[in-house]
Amino acid sequence: MLQPHLAHLMTEENVLVKSSVDNCPTSSETEGKDENPFNFQPQVIHLPKDHELFEDGDVQRHMYLQNLYISAADEEPALRVSEFACHISGCTATFKTLQEYEHHYNSLHRHVCCTCRRSLPTARLLDIHIQEWHDSLFAVLAQKQDMYQCLVEGCGLKFRTIKDRKDHLIIIHKYPPDFRFDKIRRDNRDKRRALPSDTEMEVVTDVCESEGMCEVVCGTTSNQRDPDPSDMNVSEENTGHMETSASTAPDPTEPTKPRYSYRVPPNVCFGQGSVRGFRGQRGKRK
Amino acid sequence: MWRLKKVCHKSSRPDNTEQLRLKRREQERALRQARRDKQLFSKRLLLSEDEEHSTEQHVTKIPIYSSLILIIYVSTQCTSGKCGPEKEASLKALSRALRDPSAQTKFIKLENSIHVLVGLLTGSNTECRLLAVRCLHELSHSPHSAVSLACLPASPYLLTYLSGQSTKFTELCLYTLGNLCPDNDAVKDKVLSQGIIPALTNCLETQMHNLALVEAIGFTLSQLLQEIQSKNLHTFLYYSQIISVYSSVKLFINLSTHFHCLLLAALPLIVCWVFFYLSHSIPGDCSVLLSHGALSKCSSLLVSIGGTVAEEKKDEGLELAVWPLLRCVGNLLSSCPVEHLSEQVDTRLLAALCALLNVYLKTQPALAREAAWVLNNLTAHSTDFCSALLTQNLVPDLIQLLPFSLGINTMILRVLANVAHQKKHFCDQLVRLGLLSALCATLKMADTEMVVLSLDVLNMLIDGNLQVAEEFVKQGGLLMIEALQYNHEGELRQRALYLLEHKLSPCVCLCCSFSCVSSLG
Repeated sequence: MLQPHLAHLMTEENVLVKSSVDNCPTSSETEGKDENPFNFQPQVIHLPKDHELFEDGDVQRHMYLQNLYISAADEEPALRVSEFACHISGCTATFKTLQEYEHHYNSLHRHVCCTCRRSLPTARLLDIHIQEWHDSLFAVLAQKQDMYQCLVEGCGLKFRTIKDRKDHLIIIHKYPPDFRFDKIRRDNRDKRRALPSDTEMEVVTDVCESEGMCEVVCGTTSNQRDPDPSDMNVSEENTGHMETSASTAPDPTEPTKPRYSYRVPPNVCFGQGSVRGFRGQRGKRK
Repeated sequence: MWRLKKVCHKSSRPDNTEQLRLKRREQERALRQARRDKQLFSKRLLLSEDEEHSTEQHVTKIPIYSSLILIIYVSTQCTSGKCGPEKEASLKALSRALRDPSAQTKFIKLENSIHVLVGLLTGSNTECRLLAVRCLHELSHSPHSAVSLACLPASPYLLTYLSGQSTKFTELCLYTLGNLCPDNDAVKDKVLSQGIIPALTNCLETQMHNLALVEAIGFTLSQLLQEIQSKNLHTFLYYSQIISVYSSVKLFINLSTHFHCLLLAALPLIVCWVFFYLSHSIPGDCSVLLSHGALSKCSSLLVSIGGTVAEEKKDEGLELAVWPLLRCVGNLLSSCPVEHLSEQVDTRLLAALCALLNVYLKTQPALAREAAWVLNNLTAHSTDFCSALLTQNLVPDLIQLLPFSLGINTMILRVLANVAHQKKHFCDQLVRLGLLSALCATLKMADTEMVVLSLDVLNMLIDGNLQVAEEFVKQGGLLMIEALQYNHEGELRQRALYLLEHKLSPCVCLCCSFSCVSSLG
């Protein structure tokens, strides 16, 4: 593939490169960590005749010399369209078209619970999930009132227990008994979960936050705890990742894992447009 | 005979095409590997007329035993002084026999074999001369370098005959010399000191009207120059010889562009390669060639070709001429100071390059990539060319090309970045032409370099212009930047962070409100 060699171009010794004489408009402000990382300069690129870029042309020429040249109409076209890749750190999915990419992103990375990293298909289900799983006030209120909402939009009914709601869904709305977005939260898991996230928080604050790297939203956390794999709407691409990340998932019993200090703290969330956590921290550090 | 030879196959049998295609692909792979090993040389074999016109392509293999007999017979004929049709027939048979590589090696081991041939080459029987040179030609086509070395005694005669008037004979001499050159440094040194370059220059000047010969000269020159080492050029003698070659080639090209349509199609494809190799044979930078007007010559040729191509009068095989011209222009531009650029190069070259890009995008993407490279070199430091790109309305087409990989999109984005870098109001024009939405797509691409360049361009477009930032956010680009903050590539993280902090921060609130609206809907 050409790209790595193109990047090479700038540093190869036998390549004569002339850089711009003018000042770059985005001049670097050398204020500690606020350095401007943008260093694009227009460059005239000189290529030696043995350069890889010239390979196809040379081959065509020699095919002609050796009487092997066929006009291009006989051959299938060799043009390729650039692939798209999901840039969420840890997600290694690639796509051929923009639509596939958008679909993947919108399905998996938009409505994501910040606390437990579960990906939910709609904003409403996300809200319900956050309320029921991570809101302590909800837990208190649920003991006295009917708090569990019916999952079907427009129904509006509320129930005292999860089981009641589930029965309602099955009987009235004809939902399957193993509906994927109505899992029961398991308490001991969450307690265990709290432990590694605290330590990770600590480790993160020690490290420069701009090196932060978020693990895939659904992958690493789920394979740790869920015996049933269909806990969330995980696409095939991520299952592949889950396997690979199984070996790299942090063991919750070991508190400090410098190599996972890149974990995004729990109060940072994607998909809703605002990044609250890091900004706050950065402000504090200054 | 210069015509583009298609692969001759028994076209009546369609099932053969698949086999041929496979065979061709295999050979292509072999050529690529040879190039990587820096062993990419080709030899040309000129078929005799009766062979060319026959539909069968099989080579009659005469057993080696009989070729020995033949040479013994021929040499006895020679010494006996009898010149007759039997001798000619036997020479003809010998040349057929020498097509076999093992016959070639056996032949040179025979005592006096080359001596006999050289004798016939210089003898009084012209038919025998022709046949003898044909035998030498077959020998020169051998894959074994020992055979080429063995043919060396004939070289001074071959060179002498270059200034002769017999075109068929001269053509054979040329191709023989061309085949001999790449094999061995010893051969190359010998022919250089025997004055091959002035001989070729002279031949070119006198035979300029004969396209077949010009192609042959081009072939020989390019074989010579392809791997010329700087040690061969240590004397100024060779240096000036090369300049004179260039002048002659230029003369030829002047002649051909005068008869635009006709000869452009007939432009011997190989001559252009000479240009390219010339630009590499002079060590150091190309200012010498520049002072001889090489850049303006090559660029005006490209402009003519671009014009032809844009009118959809693309000739088959034209790309073989375009390649070396693109490379010459590309590399010469790196030696040309910006102040002189406008004098040497017409701004119409931009349109020509874009036309070439579009036409060859699907059939020869490598050529499209090289055209994009030349565009980059043109626009890198020159305000005139950047503004011409905008005024000639070439940018929308370039934006359309951003989805294509194989290095095409990175080069094109680099060109657009050059334009944005030049002036502030170029950025505004680029935004008006729809670059922001294209960037929203390129930011999602798998190739890291593409994403880095996209961020660089975005930074330049947004710089100081809040409206552009808002527009970008409105198109949903903020999410991408936020996601990029946590990417595993450091370059991407730093840039994304910087953008969010300094350029896009006033727009974050705007984005929140938008995303709330979108999530409710």
